[in-house]
This record gives sequence, C-alpha cells and structure tokens, in this order.
Amino acid sequence: MQNKNIRNFSIIAHIDHGKSTIADRLIEYTGTLSKREMEAQVLDNMDIERERGITIKSQTVRLNYKGKDGEEYELNLIDTPGHVDFTYEVSRSLAACEGALLVVDAAQGVEAQTLANVYMALEHDLEIIPVINKIDLPSADPERVKKEIEDVIGLDTSNAVLASAKTGIGIEEILDSIVDYIPAPEGDENAPLQALIFDSFFDSYKGVIAHIRVVQGHIKKGMKLKLMNSGKVFEVTDVGCFKPQPVDLGHLDVGEVGFVAGSLKDVRDVRVGDTITYAENPAAEPLPGYRGVNPMVYCGLYPVESSDYDNLKDALEKMQINDAALVFEPETSVALGFGFRCGFLGLLHMDVIQERLEREYNLKLITTAPSVIYHVYKTDGTMIKVSNPAELPPQTEIEHIEEPYVKATVIVPNDFVGAVMEISQDKRGEFKGMDYLDTNRVMITYHIPLNEIIFDYFDRLKSATRGYASLDYELADYKESKLVKVDILLNGDPVDALSTIVHKDRAASRGRQLAAKLKEIIPQQMFEIPIQAAIGSKVIARENVRARRKDVLAKCYGGDISRKRKLLEKQKEGKKRMKAVGSVEVPQEAFMAILKID
Amino acid sequence: MRKQRWGLYIHIPFCRQKCFYCDFPSFAGRERYEADYTDALCRELAEQGVLYREKWGRPQTIYMGGGTPSVLDVALLEQILQAISETFAWKGINEAERPEFTVECNPGTIDEAKLALLRAGGVNRLSFGVQTFDDALLKRIGRIHTGAQAREAMELARAAGFRNVSMDLIYGLPGETQAMLVHDLETMVSLQPEHISIYGLQLEEGTAFARMQEMGKLSLPDDDTVEAMYDAMTSFLPQHGYARYEISNFAKPGFESRHNLSYWQDVPYLGIGAAAHSYLEGQRYENVREIPAYIEGIRSGSGVRRQEEAMTREIAMEEFAFLALRTARGIDRRHFEQRFGVPLDAIYADAIAKLKRQGLLAEDTAGVRLTELGMKYGNVAFEEFLL
Repeated sequence: MQNKNIRNFSIIAHIDHGKSTIADRLIEYTGTLSKREMEAQVLDNMDIERERGITIKSQTVRLNYKGKDGEEYELNLIDTPGHVDFTYEVSRSLAACEGALLVVDAAQGVEAQTLANVYMALEHDLEIIPVINKIDLPSADPERVKKEIEDVIGLDTSNAVLASAKTGIGIEEILDSIVDYIPAPEGDENAPLQALIFDSFFDSYKGVIAHIRVVQGHIKKGMKLKLMNSGKVFEVTDVGCFKPQPVDLGHLDVGEVGFVAGSLKDVRDVRVGDTITYAENPAAEPLPGYRGVNPMVYCGLYPVESSDYDNLKDALEKMQINDAALVFEPETSVALGFGFRCGFLGLLHMDVIQERLEREYNLKLITTAPSVIYHVYKTDGTMIKVSNPAELPPQTEIEHIEEPYVKATVIVPNDFVGAVMEISQDKRGEFKGMDYLDTNRVMITYHIPLNEIIFDYFDRLKSATRGYASLDYELADYKESKLVKVDILLNGDPVDALSTIVHKDRAASRGRQLAAKLKEIIPQQMFEIPIQAAIGSKVIARENVRARRKDVLAKCYGGDISRKRKLLEKQKEGKKRMKAVGSVEVPQEAFMAILKID
Repeated sequence: MRKQRWGLYIHIPFCRQKCFYCDFPSFAGRERYEADYTDALCRELAEQGVLYREKWGRPQTIYMGGGTPSVLDVALLEQILQAISETFAWKGINEAERPEFTVECNPGTIDEAKLALLRAGGVNRLSFGVQTFDDALLKRIGRIHTGAQAREAMELARAAGFRNVSMDLIYGLPGETQAMLVHDLETMVSLQPEHISIYGLQLEEGTAFARMQEMGKLSLPDDDTVEAMYDAMTSFLPQHGYARYEISNFAKPGFESRHNLSYWQDVPYLGIGAAAHSYLEGQRYENVREIPAYIEGIRSGSGVRRQEEAMTREIAMEEFAFLALRTARGIDRRHFEQRFGVPLDAIYADAIAKLKRQGLLAEDTAGVRLTELGMKYGNVAFEEFLL
C-alpha cells in the first residue's frame, strides 16, 4: 500500500461516550467483520472489560475502505485504554497515529478525561476530528457541545461529524473525514527500521506479539530485529495486521500499523514505548518517549489459605506474562503470613488484577489497603521508599517524609463548585485554579496528595455532585508532609496489615473512625476483642467487639442430619474470607476498612 | 442374617394445633387423612420393617414421633402397635430384651385408656412435650395444654406403669424471664422424670413466630438473658441428678435415650411415614413430605423414599465427627478408625489442635469431646470438622 492511502488514527472519548460502539460500527461498515461475526463491542474482549464498559488493553484493527475518490484506503484504528491509570499507554498509542476522532456525547459535553486525552493528542500534533455522538438522544444538544469544544479546547468544529453509533448515523461521514483530514504517514522505506511498540500480549503459540507502528523502514518475515531498550534480538516469525484477529501478511511497510512476533518469550522484554530496529544496521536513535514501568499504587495480596501461596505466585507470574505493568515481590506479614507486595498503575489496574486472580485462578485473596510510595528521609541522611505502611521506620529515625501529589482536574457544572472545593480542601488539596468552560461548566484544578485520591476522593466527588463531576489526574511531584503511622491492635496485638499512614492532623479522627469501622466488620467471637488505634505507643482510640453469645444447633427433628450439615456448611462458607490473626478471625474486608470510612 | 444395631423411627404428622415456633413436618386440620395414613404407615412398616428385620434382626430402639402420635384415637394407635408387634414378633420375649420404645405425647391429648394401650403394646418410654409450666407462656406459643395438665400427665404415666419418662422444655420464649425458667426447672425436677430434653427457642423460617418477628410483634428475651438462662439450665440440672450426656439432653444414670444417641453414633435407622428420615447402609434418605403424596406413593407402590445428597467418604467422616461431638463421650478414636481405616488424627489433627487451643475441645487417648465451653459454642467446633 502506498503511504498516501494509509491513515492511522485512534479514538478519544470519555467513558460511556460511545467509543467502543463507534469502533464496532466502523468495523461493520467497512466489512472487516460481517454482522454475524460481530460480537457487541468486539474490541473489548476481556470479560471484565465488557462488564465494566472499559478498555484495558489497547486493540488494533485494520479497515479497508473505498473512498469517495474511488481509491482503496487502509485505515488503522488503534483503540486506546480509557482510564487514567493507563495514561502512558495512551500516550504511546497516540504517538503511533497521525490523527484522532474526538468522540463527545451530544448531551454530556466535554469531560475532564476527554480534555486530558485531547491535550495529549495535541502534544503529538494529531489532526483531530470531532465526532458528536448520540445525536439521536432527546437531550442531545450538538450545537452547545460544538461550541464547548471550540471554547474549551480551541478546536475548529466546522468539520465535526454528527453521529449516532447506535443507529448508524454518520458512520460513512466519519470514514470519509478520516480519509480527507488525517494526514498520510511519512517515512523512508529504506531507512534503518524504527518501529514503536504501543502494546504487547502473550500468545501461547507465537510468544510475545508486539503491537507496532512502523515509523521508518520496513519489516519482513525472517528478518533479525532488536529491541533498542531491552537489547533483545529476535527473528521475525509472524508479521501482519489485525482484522481484528491477527493476519500474517509476511511484511509491514513504512507508515503501517500491525504486529510482529518472533522468538520472544517474556512480555517484560517487550515494553510499551520501546523501539524495534534491525539487529544489523540499527537506527541511530530510539524513538522518543520511552519510560519504564512506574507503579503508582501498591498493595499486599495474600492467600486466605496459606497453602495457596504457590498458586498465587504462579497466577501472578502468568498474569505478568501479559501485563508488563504488573510488578510484585514476596512479602511477609506477621498477621497474614506469606504473600506479595504488588505494584499497579492505579486503582483500576489493581482492581482488575485482583478480580482476574480470583476469577480466572479461583483464588481467595486478602488485599491490604492500597498505599502510595512515600519518600522517607532518615536522620542518618539516607532516603528509603516505603510502599507498605508497616515498614515505616520508627518516628525517631525519620527526619521527614515526602508524599506524591497529583494535579487533579475536575469538571463540574457551576452549582457544584462549592462542593468540589470543600471536598478537595478536606483532602488536603491546594487550590491551583478555576476556569469557566462555558456559562455553566467549570474546570477546577487542585494539587492533592495521591494518598487522598486513593481514599474515596472520586466517590465523594461523584456523590456530592450527583454524578456530574469528571476527574483526571497526573503525577505532579513529591512534597513534604507531616505524616504518621496509625497502628491497629486487635486483642492487644498489633496487626501489621492494618497499619496506615495518615496526616498528623487527622490521625486521631482517622484512628477513631477506623476502630469504629473495624468494630462493625469484625464479627463477635467467643471472647471480647478490644480494638485499639495507636500512634507509636500512644493509644488514640478504643473499641470493643463483645463476646458472642452461645451458638449451638438445637433440636434435630427425626434424624434429619443433612439439614444440620447444610447449616454448618453455610456457616463455614461465611467464614471463608476470614483470616485468623492470632486468635481473632478477621474478615477480608477489614483490611480495606480504611477505604470505607468517611 | 447379620446382627446389627439399628433403630426404627415412625412419624405421625398430625397435630391438634401447630405450635407457633414449630417447623417440623406436622399439620393441623388434616384429621381426614388419619385413617388412610395409618393404613399406609402400617403397610410401609410391614414391607420395610420386615426387610430390615430379616437383614439385621430386631431394632434396639423404636421411636414414634411427630407431630403428635398421641393425637391419634385408640383404634388407630392400636392398629400401629399391632403392626409393630407383628413385624418384630416380640410376643413371649422378656421385657428386658425388648427394644427401647418411645412415644411422644402431648399432655393435652392423653388419657388413661391411651396410656394403657401404649403400655400393653410394648411402649416402655414416654416423651412429653411440656415446654413450660407457665399457662400464659403456653398460650403465647400455641400449645393446647396447661401446666396442670403436664403435671397430671406425669401422674397418669406413672399410674400406667411407665418407669422411663422424658420431658421437653424450651427456654427463651417470648416474654420469659430467667426467674420463670428457674421456676420451670424447679417444677420439672420435682416431678422426677428420668430424662429431660431442653432447647433454646430458635426462630425458623416459615413459622408463625418468624412472621410475628418480621412484623415486630414478638418480644423475645435479649441475648444476655438467653445466655443467662442457658447458664442457669446447664448448672441446675446436673446439680439435681441429671447428667448432660448430649448437648440438649440430660438424664438420670442409665436413662439416656438410646434412640437419640443412635443418631449421633453412626447407627443406621429406618424411617417410616411422611417426611421420615432414614440412614441405611451409609446413605441418607427422606420420605416424601406431603401426607396425600405419601399415602398415594404407598398405595400405588411407586415408592416414597428418595435419597438425599449421595454420601461420600468425606461427608461420612464429617458427619461421624460432628454428630459424635454432640455427645458427652465425643468421638471415639477406635470407632473412627474402625469405620474409616485411618486414625482420627490423620484427618483432624489440625482441627483438634485449634479447638483445644480455643478451649472448646478436650482430648485423651480414648477420643476427643467438647468441653463445657465447647458445648456452648458447638457450631464453632462442628464447623472445624467439615473437610
């Protein structure tokens, strides 16, 4: 295919604005898949993705389209993850494109996350085609949304397409706009290869399959290639494009998007953002923008049954085969035994991994509350990074602690500005600015500790703004904070997995809330259980779980033993998620209790 | 024929009135079925009873429960007793070798004639559903008799020659105080039954009490009071000569209910009648629950017994263990090993160690048994024996 007939684009949208449905319609309209082959939302093919209506992995598909001018075009769609956890992955996907469709809901208008992604696309000099979707809705107001896009983002909307992916309106116009407005890729077919990896996954037959954009040069089957960052060398066994199943074409030419596979066994060698070049006659420089994996959030994962430790390890290793962003290392907790400290890109990433471990590997897990990475400067002049509150050194050894702050952008209707500010202030946020997007909508910017974002910031925003708030954030910097560790003692014994790091000014109230919450969560047992919250040796809160009352099955009618057994089984089922900590049975949700207090 | 210890259970699903707390398979207002039911029951007994007699010999225990067996009139009772005695042909066998034969009675539905009939028919043990001696409480829980009738029933039983009588008590009734329970216990021991069963009231789904509770019309004593009642009961009865040989059962020496014990000791039993349960050759069965369906099943010969969940070796071990733990003797190591071919510790060492730590279990070379605390938290201990 000649370069002038190739278009590489992605779709930018806020959750629920219809990105996946538009992708489906494009696939259908171009005949890439017949209607019969279409499953709803073809591109989100993980169960969890479909259930949650989100995209976690990038997906790529090549569409063949005959333009109005009668020429055949090759349109490469790169579907990007739609969540703040995957910002870096999104940026690499955008770097593989020349243009993007900006899908905005005709009723909802521009949201915080849309903005963040649009700005990112603009940074990559992408040509942006606004698509106003869901114009069939009674509440649709395309003109208002167009104006919003012009005012807020500064985009010209004269070429905007009005569409309804649900009913099929505007799909052809979208395809024609892609051909008309998005520039064809440039590049030299004979230059040393530079191919950008924007995603990768593991296939048990072919090994690691890298999603790539050929920026310079070309790839043929049998070539010896090299990953410039990891240094791995491999021979190309498969090279081609997705339709959306992988199709082996034997080659990929300059400007094209597709995949390459070879003798690569470890997804960690094939990092998103790395550059592939020729093993001999390599490119002088890798493509810009590579960044190593950078977990933002850590938590402990422990098997409920300690005998499941090896199974959990296997499962994590298998998961890592397909997810280079997952990091983990063994960790021991006095309370929970042997487990793993796991790092994630964010809360969603964490949730998804946990859910998949339980669902796909049938593991019962205890998850400790998520933590950010603290920089702890010790009195001896050294700095250590702490992602597990239990590992915070004693107060006397600490000179000061720094914690990560994010720049949080919130967009809300006018009426809720007060609520947003109140919550953000309460979350130790520093007000940075406020801009009116139009007469009704406001963009508010705060610097907020990431720690506070993790603890229900978005949930509180949502409920205080009746669901109208949209949030985006990015890591800003590390700043000194007065932080202390609050320990929890059950039955007099400290439970390391329940320790938490909080700001000094609110340690006392957090301690009280946490103790009260634990009292609700921990069921009555045969003895009274004192719950204490303490900073160092100073107890700041106290609660008691009363001893439980007698518990024994009474009369057994005429030898009906099965019924008795069923009652016992039900009772046992209820305890499956409990972990014996010392002599106390603690339900798994207790370890997340800190997230549940308000 | 291989001699084998076994028990026979006979279910009489009729009641004059359904007690408000009761979720057993028993029905009021079904008098019209009594005659047909008795026919069907006798036929099942003749067929099944003979089958197992030929296999295992006579049963060591017979228990007629309900419902209210004593609600049947003299003619129907006689028909059943006749069928039993024919099936097991014990005429001429001396009294001491006859089975323990219990019939449950409601103090409001007996008289001299019925008791004499039972005695003559081989019944040697009576179990009275007393529940409480407080008339106001009796009324509140849907019983049809008074406290005076319960006391009188005891006299009638003695007069009819019964030397082994049990009484049931329930505590934690709506509006009951600890003083009222103590009064019941005192009355109970003054009557000197040989055996006492005592249960804490439980709200069961589908009962009148469950509905009242939902509507907020039931005022049950609070947990602390019920706990105090339990403590009072478990110390009072042993002080008055009744040993606790099972979680809910107390007896004077030598008067433990052998039938009741057989449920906990892995002894097979044949259940006759609607909704009766059987435990035969290591499998558990239940007869159809509805009276008309039962009668029809027997008449047509299509069968009334269906197997419950198939017994695996694992389930068998679990049940063996948690049932045995209900008794004061607990799990007998030798018995367990004989039954399963592995030592108890090979399966349950962890559970036993954990429960010992918690003070719920005591252990010696003969076996393991619940401590006093363990009896109180029986469910916690039983659960540990589920594999």
